[in-house]
Amino acid sequence: MKDIIFTVQSKKFLSESVFELKLHTRFTLPPMRAGQFAHIEVPDASLCLRRPFCLYQFDRHSITLVIAVVGKGTKSLSNLKRSDTVRGIVPLGNGFTLSVRHQKIALIGGGIGCAPLLRVPYDYPGREFRSYLGFSTKSGVMFCEEFEQALSVGFLNDAGGGCDGLKKSSRITVSTDDGSFGFKGYAADAFLADYKKGYRPDVILTCGPEPMIKAVQKISAELKIPGFMSGEMRMGCGIGACLVCACAVREDGQVKNKRACVDGPVFRLEDLIF
Amino acid sequence: MNLKVTIAGTEFKSPVIAASGTFGLGREYNAFYDVSLLGGIATKGLTLEPREGNGGTRIAETPSGILNCVGLQNPGVEKFVADELPFLDKLGTVIIANVAGSTEEDYLKIAERFSRTSVDCLELNISCPNVKCGGVAFGVEPASVEHITRAVKAVCGAKPLIVKLTPNVARIADNAAAAENGGADAISLINTITGMAIDYKTRRPVLGNVTGGLSGPCVKPIALRMVYEAYRAVKIPIIGMGGIQTPEDVLEFMIAGASAVQVGSANIFDPMAAITIVKGLTKLLNSCKIDDVNEVIGSLII
Ligand SMILES: Cc1cc2nc3c(=O)[nH]c(=O)nc-3n(C[C@H](O)[C@H](O)[C@H](O)COP(=O)(O)OP(=O)(O)OC[C@H]3O[C@@H](n4cnc5c(N)ncnc54)[C@H](O)[C@@H]3O)c2cc1C
Ligand SMILES: Cc1cc2nc3c(=O)[nH]c(=O)nc-3n(C[C@H](O)[C@H](O)[C@H](O)COP(=O)(O)O)c2cc1C
Ligand code: FES
Repeated sequence: MKDIIFTVQSKKFLSESVFELKLHTRFTLPPMRAGQFAHIEVPDASLCLRRPFCLYQFDRHSITLVIAVVGKGTKSLSNLKRSDTVRGIVPLGNGFTLSVRHQKIALIGGGIGCAPLLRVPYDYPGREFRSYLGFSTKSGVMFCEEFEQALSVGFLNDAGGGCDGLKKSSRITVSTDDGSFGFKGYAADAFLADYKKGYRPDVILTCGPEPMIKAVQKISAELKIPGFMSGEMRMGCGIGACLVCACAVREDGQVKNKRACVDGPVFRLEDLIF
Repeated sequence: MNLKVTIAGTEFKSPVIAASGTFGLGREYNAFYDVSLLGGIATKGLTLEPREGNGGTRIAETPSGILNCVGLQNPGVEKFVADELPFLDKLGTVIIANVAGSTEEDYLKIAERFSRTSVDCLELNISCPNVKCGGVAFGVEPASVEHITRAVKAVCGAKPLIVKLTPNVARIADNAAAAENGGADAISLINTITGMAIDYKTRRPVLGNVTGGLSGPCVKPIALRMVYEAYRAVKIPIIGMGGIQTPEDVLEFMIAGASAVQVGSANIFDPMAAITIVKGLTKLLNSCKIDDVNEVIGSLII
């Protein structure tokens, strides 16, 4: 992890309240992986705390964040302009780590929570991914093209091997709570519908609002499919020193307060206590 | 240029010390810079037994500050001595063990244990607002400040005892004097100011513990005033803190009467904060043509 001065390379609004921010640095960034996050300074002196955002895309000299405007800090970040500078610590957190047993992977994301899942297929090429992207309504639907692209990485690399021949389109299910686009209902329900049709992933990765994580936790337990979630806890330092980001998890039969910033933000669903 | 200050016989290579609870046990920041360049490190509040801390949300942001209610999550004294102290020892900077308890017996046991370790000083935390029967029960009434200070001083052997005062009191000068009367070698102040945040949409408190401790730049004027009042009430050295973010802040606290300062929340806002302040202080003193930082201690002109 390093504290780095970034320059805003581009900013693009994906919807009314969600924007994509590409930050560039001339320094070579440390290796990063899916599920890790950046802790970004807010350009407003009265807001002292940095804000955590997952690494949506990255390469050796840039990171791209997708930010939903929900309060003062994200509002202030949305006013950044090209060539403004902003400091951020990268990369933080444990990220998603899959074992070799996890060949078939279900990604279940809710809203902005889809963002950290996007990078996983790039980190694990050659595996079979299906993604379930949930939004409240049609105007909020995002990330479809990006997931198409991400999933074709795995798809292409897998073409000679054990690919199950799924068409691209059936590997991404978009759902909306009100049914105005795609599957009507929650992303977790869309996943269950596929399960009923015989889909049996080895592992589930999920990120999104708490009710969704709870629903997926239940599904994972009932169907005996292991799963990992990435949480959105409030953070202070982001580097493991202040202990304000505690997340209650079960460990060796005991309840332990783990630091979401360094021990997480990815935790096993079965360990998580709400 | 001299940056060295001496407090109760302990020499600090710089008057800038990392404050308890904001610096972990030192390791995290060492990944960003050489933490031995700091004047000292105060550990997270350490209790007799390991503590998991409070449940629910532990932090809320306020204009130019934060509220926290961590609730003294720590590995406990024995685990600290076994797993963390060897690392801290090797650093070559002053290590201050922040001692927290809920009963007098706890405090005595911890202090006695630390008297047999390599830590340089003890900082008696009788000011944590975030645990129910926490130390703050000892920190509010001057009489109990004096009592607990005297009792702990009797068991901590040759280790200098710093008593950390809470600002949530009627008259800080009385509490400072009480610590001095009890035999404290130095006092440090301020701990956090009790505060609260409410979410108007849910009508619920933001913090899991309902109330929390306020820190950061918003508390600086209060902290400065309290250091100033304490300085006029005691002869023992004072370690000042509360909202320090810049080398200028350090000088202001020292002019008010602090012999050294601690930097807390600023580390949380910026991992490089403490070292940036240390480096900036040399420059600032140069530009003010001051060649010994000790010159400014208590130099307030009224
Ligand atoms: C590891 C991690 C990764 C994240 N990744 C992303 C991401 O990729 N894109 C994105 O848009 N957001 C992400 N978030 C959430 C993001 O950090 C918060 O939305 C942001 O800090 C809010 O700042 P604000 O000043 O705008 O809101 P505030 O004014 O601080 O609060 C506005 C509202 O947001 C809620 N809120 C504040 N902080 C958090 C938080 N940490 N988690 C959940 N709710 C919060 C508050 O309850 C409040 O209702 C992530 C959070 C974590 C912990
Ligand atoms: C997250 C957090 C945890 C803290 N934990 C402790 C603690 O364990 N013991 C203690 O004496 N003070 C603790 N403090 C108080 C600080 O050491 C310091 O007294 C206070 O924050 C004021 O300084 P600041 O404004 O520079 O942060 C804590 C403060 C914060 C923000
Ligand atoms: S945010 Fe400080 S320990 Fe996690």
